[in-house]
Amino acid sequence: MFKLEQFNKLTASIVTVVALASFGQAGETPAYNGLWDAKKDISGGVYYPIKNGQTGPYKVNTQVYKDSDVSKGNSGIKGVYNNGRVPTANELKAWDKDIDGKNRGMPDGYGYVDEGEALYENQCKSCHGDFGSGGGGYPALSAGKAKDMKRTLTNNRWFKPTAEGPSRVFGSYWPVASTMFWYIRDAMPHTKSKTLTDDETYSLTAYMLYINGMKVDGEIVTETFKLDKEKFNKIEMPNRHGFIPNIDGKDGLENVRTFFQNPDNYGAIRLAKGEEPCMKNCQETDNILRVDGGITDFNPPMSVARDLPPKKDDGMHKVSFDIKGAYESHCAMCHGTGVAPAAGDKAGWAPFMEKGLSKVYKNGLEGTNMGMPAKGGASISDAEFKKVVDYMLKF
Amino acid sequence: MKNNVVNTNSNTTMSRRDFFKKTGAVSAAAAASVIAPSVANASGGGTSADDQAIMHHPKWGQSWGDPVTKNVYGVPSKYEHNNVRRYTKLLASGNYRASIALTPIHESDGIITPNGLFFSRSHGGTAHVDPSEFRLMINGLVEKPIVLTLAQLKRYPRVTRTHFIECPANGGQEWRRPQYNSVQFAKGFMACAEWTGVYIKTILEDLGLKPEAKWMLAEGSDNSEMGRTVPIDKVLDDAMIVWGQNGEALRPEQGYPARLLLPGWEGNLCVKWLKRLEFGDEPWYAKEETSKYTALQPTGKAVQHFYANEVNSTVTTPSPEKPWTDLEDGDMVEIEGLAWSGMGTITRVDLSFDGGNNYEQANIKGLVLPKCWTRWSYMHKYKKGEKLLLTSRAMDDAGFIQPTVDQEVFGGDVTKEYLEAAQKDSSKIDKTKGMGVESVYHRNAVETWEVNEKGEVNHVQVRTI
Repeated sequence: MFKLEQFNKLTASIVTVVALASFGQAGETPAYNGLWDAKKDISGGVYYPIKNGQTGPYKVNTQVYKDSDVSKGNSGIKGVYNNGRVPTANELKAWDKDIDGKNRGMPDGYGYVDEGEALYENQCKSCHGDFGSGGGGYPALSAGKAKDMKRTLTNNRWFKPTAEGPSRVFGSYWPVASTMFWYIRDAMPHTKSKTLTDDETYSLTAYMLYINGMKVDGEIVTETFKLDKEKFNKIEMPNRHGFIPNIDGKDGLENVRTFFQNPDNYGAIRLAKGEEPCMKNCQETDNILRVDGGITDFNPPMSVARDLPPKKDDGMHKVSFDIKGAYESHCAMCHGTGVAPAAGDKAGWAPFMEKGLSKVYKNGLEGTNMGMPAKGGASISDAEFKKVVDYMLKF
Repeated sequence: MKNNVVNTNSNTTMSRRDFFKKTGAVSAAAAASVIAPSVANASGGGTSADDQAIMHHPKWGQSWGDPVTKNVYGVPSKYEHNNVRRYTKLLASGNYRASIALTPIHESDGIITPNGLFFSRSHGGTAHVDPSEFRLMINGLVEKPIVLTLAQLKRYPRVTRTHFIECPANGGQEWRRPQYNSVQFAKGFMACAEWTGVYIKTILEDLGLKPEAKWMLAEGSDNSEMGRTVPIDKVLDDAMIVWGQNGEALRPEQGYPARLLLPGWEGNLCVKWLKRLEFGDEPWYAKEETSKYTALQPTGKAVQHFYANEVNSTVTTPSPEKPWTDLEDGDMVEIEGLAWSGMGTITRVDLSFDGGNNYEQANIKGLVLPKCWTRWSYMHKYKKGEKLLLTSRAMDDAGFIQPTVDQEVFGGDVTKEYLEAAQKDSSKIDKTKGMGVESVYHRNAVETWEVNEKGEVNHVQVRTI
């Protein structure tokens, strides 16, 4: 800790330096948006191409990378390495099992709502609740009739946290149904994923349609509904067009690029070229929102103390102490090499034992100026050390 | 060993000679009698102004330390046991298997997060992949699909980059008001590391990307088979497959043995325990880019494929975890914080002492790298009893600046009059502006930490009305 007087002296000089630094910057081109005109990437951020052996601040190996321009489809790579091998047809079949938004990749098969319900009751309900109502921190899968619930998506709990919020479940929110099938088959049930057959997955997906009151080919899904690959294409997703930008089709990428060029589209603020940010009287208010109740269930409990951790001496943390191991790693380097009496060497220990066991313990625990380090240099408890001594004194 | 000297003192029957011996042994002070009196003096705890930490020999200075054979993989000092990731039930879906544990950014120094403290998020638990069974398959719209072992993957020319990874839900519980009186929980859904791997574009030269390939699916091999769709622009730019983290192998929590790294973009897109990349002409609609990680706006439309984490910053000291309760009047103290942008390089950080009404320029320090944590600092002379509202505001080289809380929720041109009308009648709200309060993801409004007259620090939001 510095002394106060030194601080006072320091303060004056620091303030001067800071002030000079800010004045210095004010007169020049503002560095904070100096790359304003730089080419942007698809996300609206700055694109740092590889140019003259460098990308941003990083040098690159010019044997590997030449100048690049992604917008021209030029990734700047020199050379081919020919690593790896071509997968076999069976390998591709085993791993290339994704299902895209156009249902490409849907397997053959079929399933029924009632069979899905039985599977759900057995394997899903304990986490996702009755009829997909959620619970225990796991996501809800239904909140009622999909079409009605979709209307809640414009709900915003602006000023009242208790108001009805938007319902973001399968029926009301998800854009396509393939996601559900794909995720159930590959990631569910959570404790033993990838155990459901394609037919079982069809059944469970059918049950999802049923509990969300959804339509397939204009018909509301009933308890006896059978879902197959053909009908899957006719599932009506109420919120199919609820997402921006439109990522589908040949203009998908371009739509995304255009979307992110306009910060208003995603709640961001971009200064105009050369614009100074507001520095004075930007937000005059005395309205301060505090943590109200809030969340304090922090684990482990919040602390910045630099002390020893509490001893965990419960049954769970009891670790059996390896006496022989401790002897070999900490004692044998002297006691096993003739420098000091070895384990079990009754004659060697005799002169020490004359002074009594408690003295032997004490010398060992505290160390001696004859060369014995305290506890032999081991980080073990006193009780553990005594066990090692006892081991050495077994004659 | 805790102050055994006091225990010794309580033994009144002990002779003076025994006392020195015992003190010397237990506190490991030297047996040499010349220093014994000063030890006794200090341990007496009476009138001396002498610091015991100086006046006696500490135990570690007078006995053997650990042999080099101990901890062949090092661990932190046992005294650092509170510098840990933390979790809370609110953010736990399913027995902490689809959950998050957060980085203690209040204890972070510099711009590198130690691997053991890097925030941990998974959707089906942390997978423990056997590297001998690791395979990376790349298929789809390529001339030649391939399978790589880990050794073959690592044979490509490697690049090393320092980038943060941030969960887009960082701060996402606080659209309406502050929820956590903690910087670890309010802003610790992120960490920063030096990553080593290969640009995916390097590998693509081996496969030959077909011109109609527009999107890439990345799939994990974990319990949730985590999948996400990536636009080809990013793949051909700086997307990497990484296996190295701060000079060693990725930790299991970060996707050992290999993960995707899309610098600056949503942590969720950086698929861990990577298994397969497929190139296609249409996006995939995986679960974590439909059901979740989509930002619902007040219009009822949700931003899908929301990539970059926008410019952001926070004060880390002081914070609720690191208050100023020990400061004296006139103390010179450093206000420190982090700034970061997934859209570029931090170019400037401003600091307000009044919650964002007036700002002064703070000092950026250390390395300034794109899509990377950046340290900033401001020296402040503390006045005992002063009340402050510390708000930081960062800018990046794309020209982006952090919005106020109200600007992000209601739109950039929000005014007091507009909000007063909206509060009386919420149908007056223009739903085409701002993100509303239901979008969960990509919140990057300024954060404010209130320092009260005792030097305690609380998380607050400064709102227009």
